[in-house]
Amino acid sequence: MSDDMIQLEELTKRFPGQAEPAVDRLTMRVPRGEIVVFVGPSGCGKTTSLKMINRIIEPTSGHIIIDGEDVTDVDPDELRRGIGYVIQQIGLFPHVTISDNVATVPRLLGWDKDRITARTDELLEIVGLDPDLYRDRYPKELSGGQRQRVGVARALAADPPVLLMDEPFGAIDPITRTRLQNEFLRLQEELKKTIVFVTHDIDEAIKMGDRIAILREQSHIAQFATPEEILTQPANEFVEDFVGSGATLKRLKLSRVRDVDWLTDCPTGRLDDSPEVLRQRLADSDWTALLVLDDRDRPVRWLRAPDFHHPAREVARMGLPAVAFVRPQATLSDALEEMLVGSAGVAIVIDGQGVYQGIMDVDVIIASIQAMRDATNEFYRAAKLVDPTTGLAGS
Amino acid sequence: MSFFTDYLADPSRQARLLEMAVEHLVLVGASVGVAVLLGLALGITAHRVDWLAPAILNTASIFLTIPSLALFALLIPLVGIGATPAWVALVMYSLLPIVRNTVSGLNSVDQAVVESAKGMGMGGTTRLLRIELPNAWPVVLAGVRVATLLVVGIAAIAALVGGPGLGQEIYQNGIRRIGSPGALNALLGGTVMIVLLALLLDLLYLAIGRLTIPRGIRE
Repeated sequence: MSDDMIQLEELTKRFPGQAEPAVDRLTMRVPRGEIVVFVGPSGCGKTTSLKMINRIIEPTSGHIIIDGEDVTDVDPDELRRGIGYVIQQIGLFPHVTISDNVATVPRLLGWDKDRITARTDELLEIVGLDPDLYRDRYPKELSGGQRQRVGVARALAADPPVLLMDEPFGAIDPITRTRLQNEFLRLQEELKKTIVFVTHDIDEAIKMGDRIAILREQSHIAQFATPEEILTQPANEFVEDFVGSGATLKRLKLSRVRDVDWLTDCPTGRLDDSPEVLRQRLADSDWTALLVLDDRDRPVRWLRAPDFHHPAREVARMGLPAVAFVRPQATLSDALEEMLVGSAGVAIVIDGQGVYQGIMDVDVIIASIQAMRDATNEFYRAAKLVDPTTGLAGS
Repeated sequence: MSFFTDYLADPSRQARLLEMAVEHLVLVGASVGVAVLLGLALGITAHRVDWLAPAILNTASIFLTIPSLALFALLIPLVGIGATPAWVALVMYSLLPIVRNTVSGLNSVDQAVVESAKGMGMGGTTRLLRIELPNAWPVVLAGVRVATLLVVGIAAIAALVGGPGLGQEIYQNGIRRIGSPGALNALLGGTVMIVLLALLLDLLYLAIGRLTIPRGIRE
């Protein structure tokens, strides 16, 4: 069994009446269980490339090999039943119910009724829609985000090993999009599908991709590498321009709070401690503020030295309320945003139950950026094997 | 002679009018029924085979522009007199609304819906029957309704070529005896019955729509 689930060999598409091919000899391997993102400016051929994999667009020449089998000339309908397909406009069938939509491929495959019912309910559950509530509804009765969930459920119905997604979250409002992206990534951790994902948004590519193929005109690969490599070692000017000036900021989306050493020496106190004890504790530390926790170790208030000049009877009424919380799984970008919004310049790390874990400040983030940069430079200096066209270290 | 107290009150005339109304309905039903089958086939062909579309639509348009009086008469040398020329002519007249609405109904199906069906491995025929036609159905049905109401009126002229239906009352008892007592009542009687039939059929299509348009795409 090859490690590559999808192999594209010299895949070319010429549309009639056009001098230049839309896709020119695209050759690429998609490793099993990974998300590969095609990203590039509009008209670069990324969608055409994707649609050649399930032959919605028939290639003019070249080969598509899925799981070791050349599928360039097999029956396209058979091929497509084994490949999940999600498009931006979703394309739910408006005249049938949600469960009928999800059941499309299992029905084409001739599953029996009980198995289909069980599977559609399971899938609705997986994508976060209560089957009892949504099973019998029609697409028009759902919001855009809910429809896209159904679109994903429908694509997963017959448990295909491969999923093709063409800007699946492109037409959804930013807040819902972020939520769907996160849910999808969590789902993928369990499902381990091989996914080809098309987007024009480099931020989405960095977030979703295990690997990113940055495509320029005619689907020529400008760089095919991990998000880290693309951000730290752009192969050429095209990639650099496409990634844009915010590369460092984007890198913050790659690291999570749990990956960095947050501060744990911040002085803390209890709601029932006396102000005098807390004042002394703060004075003995290097910190300018002290964090007060409640009886379940959840942060409630910040106290600074001036707050002790006129101590109230209860600690709960002194200082400022604690704000700007982040969880360990949040990205550094989220943490930075919390810090800026919170205006305290720090973010409080808490776990799922709200229990205090530590403090993040800007210095922590800057240190982690520095460490990331050093690590990649070190890697490439040691390897000295950078392929100038793809940015991939040679093998 | 009064229309209500004399003409309509006569029990034998009532029976005769009812009999002609049924004949009229059967003629319209048989014509539209065949036109639906033919029109769907032609409409689907026009939708799938781009270069045939203008030929099909233009032919159906030309049928509708032939004056009905002439068309009925022109058919006599080909199929004789009676119900047959009436039926053939009415099929020809019903075609355009049905074909045109089939084509525009199929064209109006969201391309993303068709592509996602294709992307899931649904073959051409399954796609047509399970996805495209159900979604085009409200528009197709509207075309069938227009065709029906159109030929309910035109069917009256069938009486000129010896055809069945309420046209007989209008033509034989009305137009041919114009000036004689009762002729005006016959004209009026046939016409009123045809209008009533049209209203009845309109209600029928409302019910058919309720029953056959999938809930997910109902207005």
